[in-house]
Amino acid sequence: MSVTKTYLPKRFHQAVVKWQETYLPDFDFLLDNWDKYFPQDTRFELCAFREMGMCSEVECGDRKGKPKFQQAAEMEPQQGGHLLGALKAQASTEFGSIQQHQLTLARAQNEEEQFWILRMMAEELRHGYQMFHLLLEDDWSDVTDQSGPDMVEEILSMQTGSHILGAFNVDFDSFIDNVTFCALIDRVGKYQLSMQRISAYKPMAESMPQMLREEAFHLAAGVVPLRRWMEKAARDSVYITTNDIQKAINKWLPRGLEMFGDERGGGTNVRYGLKPMKNAEAQEQYYQEVGKVVRDLNMRFIRARLPELSLSEAESLLEKLLVDGGSSRGISWEELVHVPHREFFRRRGVPAFKMVGWAGEDFDDAEAYLRHLTRHLPDGYRAGRDFRDYAQMLRRVDSGELTGDEAGRTMPSLRRVGGVCPCSRAVRWVAEEPHGNGSGGNREARR
Amino acid sequence: MTESETVVQIRQLEDTDIGGITALDEKIGGEYRPEVWERRITYYLRRDPEALVVAEADGKVVGFMLGEVRSGDFGLEEPTGWIEVMGVDPDLRGKAIGRRLAERMLDHFQSQGASSVRTLVDETMTEITGFFGSLGFEPAPLRSFVKNL
Repeated sequence: MSVTKTYLPKRFHQAVVKWQETYLPDFDFLLDNWDKYFPQDTRFELCAFREMGMCSEVECGDRKGKPKFQQAAEMEPQQGGHLLGALKAQASTEFGSIQQHQLTLARAQNEEEQFWILRMMAEELRHGYQMFHLLLEDDWSDVTDQSGPDMVEEILSMQTGSHILGAFNVDFDSFIDNVTFCALIDRVGKYQLSMQRISAYKPMAESMPQMLREEAFHLAAGVVPLRRWMEKAARDSVYITTNDIQKAINKWLPRGLEMFGDERGGGTNVRYGLKPMKNAEAQEQYYQEVGKVVRDLNMRFIRARLPELSLSEAESLLEKLLVDGGSSRGISWEELVHVPHREFFRRRGVPAFKMVGWAGEDFDDAEAYLRHLTRHLPDGYRAGRDFRDYAQMLRRVDSGELTGDEAGRTMPSLRRVGGVCPCSRAVRWVAEEPHGNGSGGNREARR
Repeated sequence: MTESETVVQIRQLEDTDIGGITALDEKIGGEYRPEVWERRITYYLRRDPEALVVAEADGKVVGFMLGEVRSGDFGLEEPTGWIEVMGVDPDLRGKAIGRRLAERMLDHFQSQGASSVRTLVDETMTEITGFFGSLGFEPAPLRSFVKNL
């Protein structure tokens, strides 16, 4: 296999750089310290990679076995429309996650973990750049009236609250969010990229391998700090408790499940050869994988708390705690972390606005359900606009004013107050903005 | 399922394997070293995740092999594959798990342009030297030297 490297036309490249100066102000600091944290690793470069020599035949769906599409114009308009929607959503997530991570990056307690997140942010920037490469290299005029430059500008103009997928419209409240997001939301990204690796649109398929390589590290940048925190929590660290981690899981897992799309859908993508799995199938695999992560975290906790136990003794203790739900050898079920019920706190898909509790229990009163949610969600999140909007929408669904589906289509709406963010100027083409806008870089991150 | 029927799947290593590899290392070496594997696997995952392979049976990691293609080490300028760490469940040895792990890794090294693959082995560990010999590895003139400080 060989990999080709390309750059966007100058004005688009510069627009992404300008965006980076605003939303990823520590980028230069990352590069300046690259060798300290990532010695001998290939240095980061803002470019698009395409893997050559991949499968040339459609791998699933109605056209299985026929040649893959090299251009959008070769596709049926509906098919091209589906693809374009996925492409724009993918681009939106890449830029959106950087905006979220930047909010709390400076709050990390560990410099190494902070640099892992910073590198991950840079690589997400490259992933967004990769999607722009696909948007700009092809002619999409058969499926949209929007020009390539307008699509790029639309995506660069998005803020937390106006991104396409819900998970990217929720503010981070602490560095626990940075890490949990990598472990849970980037894991959805891995599924999406893996599925798109077989896309009937060859440029999309060729874009995935390098993104997947980078995504593997992003997952580790989430899971390894979580493991370390579980170990510290087992030793009664005062900084991050298992309860904090549990609440972060409760905050993010429902959004992760929703990223797969409605559980009833996905068949069209399979038929068109764009993805090999329907939404529900991929979501189920993801849910099981999260279960594996959580079990692993609990083992890390038990073995740190009771180092005298052998591996098999620790496994037996974990089983006993999970089955009995009580306490044993000084560890209680509540001290462990658990996977919330898959219908808990959902706002899209089949369970949208159903009042299903953390353990799967049913509620029939919105106020009682909201009180239940407040016990399971992080304090900072509960005090935010996203949760307030959810609560208002839930009450409207509960009163019969809206259906769950209707309410889901309006969520989330994390409105910004105080007018237009001055940073938004950064998304204009550099040619029109010869003077920098003062990125207001976050020096706190440079500890 | 009896041991003889155990189906072993070879696949790319993922972040969710850290616990399984730690457990296997403990079974082999008798020491629980989670920090070592968290750090080591994160290092490899950020460099070339496709080079990393595990063997899985009944949902458990029963073998793993870590390595990468590098240039410039010890004056070897050409891209060279390095097998650096491996482990196979002692209860499942003799079932060609190590061979299958190596074949998968070597295929990847080749796809990355490596024309040779190297490893360092303690020559007193006859089982390991025999394993690499059976894969076609030969002693190389490049010798390992060490000085205690």
